Amino acid sequence: MKDILAAIWAEGLKIRRAEGLKIRRSKMFLITILAFVLIPVLMSLMMYLAKNPELAHRLGILGAKATVLNLQADWPTYFGFLNMAIVAIGLVGFGFVTSWDFGREYSDHTAKDLLALPAPRSSVVLAKFVVVVIWCVLLSLILLCSGLVAGEVVQLSGWTSETASHSVSIFAVTALLTILLCTPVAFFASFGRGYLAPVGFVILALGISQFVGALGFARYFPWSIPMLYAGAAGAESAQLGIVSYVILFLTSVLGLVGTLAQWRYADQF
Amino acid sequence: METVQDVIRTEGLTKHFGSVHAVESVSLRVRKGEIYGFLGLNGAGKTTTIRMLLGMIRATAGSAFLFGKKVSADSCDLWEHVGYLVETPSSYPELTVWENLEIMRRLHRIPDEKSVDMVVDKLWLTPYRNRKAGLLSLGNMQRLGLAKALLHNPDILILDEPANGLDPAGIVEIRELLRDLSSNHGVTVFISSHILGEISRLATRIGIIHEGRLVQEIDADELGRLHQKRLLVDAHDRRSAQAELIKDGYSVTATEEGVLEIADNEAVACPDRVATMLVGAGLPPTLLRVEEEDLESYFLRVVGATGR
Repeated sequence: MKDILAAIWAEGLKIRRAEGLKIRRSKMFLITILAFVLIPVLMSLMMYLAKNPELAHRLGILGAKATVLNLQADWPTYFGFLNMAIVAIGLVGFGFVTSWDFGREYSDHTAKDLLALPAPRSSVVLAKFVVVVIWCVLLSLILLCSGLVAGEVVQLSGWTSETASHSVSIFAVTALLTILLCTPVAFFASFGRGYLAPVGFVILALGISQFVGALGFARYFPWSIPMLYAGAAGAESAQLGIVSYVILFLTSVLGLVGTLAQWRYADQF
Repeated sequence: METVQDVIRTEGLTKHFGSVHAVESVSLRVRKGEIYGFLGLNGAGKTTTIRMLLGMIRATAGSAFLFGKKVSADSCDLWEHVGYLVETPSSYPELTVWENLEIMRRLHRIPDEKSVDMVVDKLWLTPYRNRKAGLLSLGNMQRLGLAKALLHNPDILILDEPANGLDPAGIVEIRELLRDLSSNHGVTVFISSHILGEISRLATRIGIIHEGRLVQEIDADELGRLHQKRLLVDAHDRRSAQAELIKDGYSVTATEEGVLEIADNEAVACPDRVATMLVGAGLPPTLLRVEEEDLESYFLRVVGATGR
């Protein structure tokens, strides 16, 4: 436990130094935060346009989109968007965060410094996962908070505490399900020794999720499950059974075990 | 037979990558306080051997031992006493020299917070303490890599080409540092290099690896004995001088420049006799010099003789 804490501290230092406290020196941390702030701002802008159709007509494509979607400019609709955003942006964003945290050790050739330490290699891997989870939770909170602020700024109607608490709980679980899918990305970063393989894997997983969705097997594909939970398929989310959660959980465990095994058993060059 | 003094030992250490035999049955021993120079051409198997010594790659056959304990990926207790530098030194480019070392201090669980400043000072990195690692020159990056290896005052140092990128002054500084660690602090140094001159100046024992095989192990003291010596002779009338020498029983060859070369031990030991004989024959020598083979020539002769 002491080893894990020491490794977590060191990982935390790297992250804090590189991406957190000295944020001006960190591009990745800043970029992810900006992306997670920008998305709800854009969504609230859509809501604002939906509220003001005359303005939408003057704004071209964005206005046309808001009109075509025939959006209800209220909190329940907006919360629905936020919940889908955490999946769509989360799968990509959390995937990038994981790719960066694990892949950089290979791209910067610093992985070799982590292999012969007085701490087990598993503690280094677990520390990285802890940092990734903290980072992703932080990004989720940023998305939620900036979404709430942006929704308040455009003065959406239909706010009730019941709607808010129900939607936030869906948001939290959706974010958690999405974060659980970071472990296979870490495996591909470790296996592929860099960024390319995990980023390619994230893109492939998103592509397949579209395909299996079209075939009607979305609830059996891990990368589609958070989207279904968030209500992307409307009533189908209600059909998410225990099997879906087990599939997603097993995928996460496999990713974790695979990453640990890769660091422990694979030849490290 | 392992002795207490053998802090590094390999037994039949072998690594195959498919059909490539990177390391083939390497057995070596390094005693406490020794500086073991691991010499080989590029691709000879030096780095693969070092990675197996550090548990980074698994041996196809054989084993490596440090302090008598078998090395594996789980040998955490060993790494507290081992500092290493494998291939090109790397650091987190956006972090400063100090921050990179502070991360290593934490990972090595070194309680003394001053250890980072001490090693920065020891490796002459003080002027670069707050410079981002990504902005360091190759030589200073190498110093940073060495600082990481030395941070926890290890008993064994395993260094892969540590002189790479260092300027001549830097090479001398590092050489003196390693000598001091070995002589005064009992640190065992395993250093790989293809820079023969550097190894010959530093190592107390040398192992030559070629095409994955350890082809020779020699004490540095023995080197002089193993080096071939030859007597170079020249005279105004080379042809007559050669004939006279052959008549006197010497086996004489000519170098590319046409200078006469005698490898006979007797001639090498007593060049004055050769000079006297030539003067007596009316062919006074214009050149009489005993030349000793350098490590480079010796190395090339050894790997050439055993190369497959």
